[in-house]
Amino acid sequence: MKKKYALFPGCLMPTEQYAYELSIRETLPLLDVELVDVEGFSCCGEPMKSVNQLLTVYLSARNLAIAEKHHLDVFAPCAMCHLALSECQHILEENPAMKERINGMLAAEGLNYTVKRQVVHTVDLLYDQVGIEKIKEHVKKPLNGLKIAAHYGCHILRPSEIGRPDDSENPQKIEAILKALGAEPVDYPQKLDCCGAPLLANLPESALTKTGQKLQAIQEQGIQGMVDVCPWCHKMFDSRQTKAGETVAAKLDVPVLYLTQLLGLAMGISGEKLGLELNLSPVEKLQLGDVK
Amino acid sequence: MSIIDLTSMGEPQSDLRKELNDRLTKLQDEISDYCFQCAKCTSGCESHKLLELEPHKIVALLKRGLINELVNSDVIWTCMTCLKCRERCPQRVAPVEILFALKNMAVASGKQIPGKYTGMLQSILSMGLIQDIQQTTTRTNKTLKRDELGLPPLSKPIDVVKFQAGIMKIAMEKV
Repeated sequence: MKKKYALFPGCLMPTEQYAYELSIRETLPLLDVELVDVEGFSCCGEPMKSVNQLLTVYLSARNLAIAEKHHLDVFAPCAMCHLALSECQHILEENPAMKERINGMLAAEGLNYTVKRQVVHTVDLLYDQVGIEKIKEHVKKPLNGLKIAAHYGCHILRPSEIGRPDDSENPQKIEAILKALGAEPVDYPQKLDCCGAPLLANLPESALTKTGQKLQAIQEQGIQGMVDVCPWCHKMFDSRQTKAGETVAAKLDVPVLYLTQLLGLAMGISGEKLGLELNLSPVEKLQLGDVK
Repeated sequence: MSIIDLTSMGEPQSDLRKELNDRLTKLQDEISDYCFQCAKCTSGCESHKLLELEPHKIVALLKRGLINELVNSDVIWTCMTCLKCRERCPQRVAPVEILFALKNMAVASGKQIPGKYTGMLQSILSMGLIQDIQQTTTRTNKTLKRDELGLPPLSKPIDVVKFQAGIMKIAMEKV
């Protein structure tokens, strides 16, 4: 059965992390997921949580209300957006006074939040909605035992009390997807380590050190590559890998791809369509299809 | 509307400051009492090794009522918001949430906001997103933008005046 979602792009993916968006738009429709582009979304509010949490709740509620107006469930490919939207739902469902207050503000734009709609992320969309069997059916070029490390990103794993796409301490859904693609997921001690991105705003050097430490550990363990599922994590691990290497005095050369890019390659889609030319890490080392 | 309205000081913010103060007092009086200083939060803290953040000490200081000292300290801005402390606390204290409340208080009481937060907030106010479309560089050093990759137009607030009016209500706290 076809699933239909409003694609909630957030800020980072549609303004610079184009490879994620390209690979999502290439792969998911082939797996019977219909993505609807909706006008008028704004930031989810998560980047402003340290500044004003009410603003975070307001912005998330605003976006949820827009999806509600179109009678659509929401697909948020960014881990930060997914947390903000889920947490906002949790707050508004638990706290009727807050819901009334937020709706009072939303009236300025003629919006209203009433019901909790489904909010999915790439990981649970692929694993729980599309399903492993269906993914396997679409694999045309299996990845021949490629050793890949999965990076989940903190915000899709915690806090579990509000419901997250995978287990907070032992997530396995990306690994299951990697196996379906013919790759060999590798367990590694640093799997749950943060990418560092939340510190980019005020402590960029420390943020990059965090990134460098994780990549260095992966490199030393002889893992062939890494996949991630968040534009913030990817900005750190791929776009800024060279700089991250400088902070730990190491020459890093770990191929980093979005999970949806690797999925697309295994489905036989060309690297160009999946935005592989935008990855700045040495993805050519994986020797996949037409990737140069 | 200026950024000042949202982040600080002026009279309109007094309600927000009162609300934050109530929240911190509640955290101090009720929540921090549950903490028995097992330091499980600190042992898993992503910022601990790198930046010496010690969440269990933050809770201990809050319990002793040192709110102003915490609000004025740079250490509250070292949290990576990985949420492990909240997940793992056996007493459900959630130091990360205490840190968010302290940072919000630092902003609302007029202390300077560090780093790029001001710029991101200004961008949200003017166009709805933390940044506008950026040029990106390919592996072969070509520069590209969103439309050149065949991606559809950016989703952002259509009527910015109305969008700002909604946010203004947070600044004015007249809801």
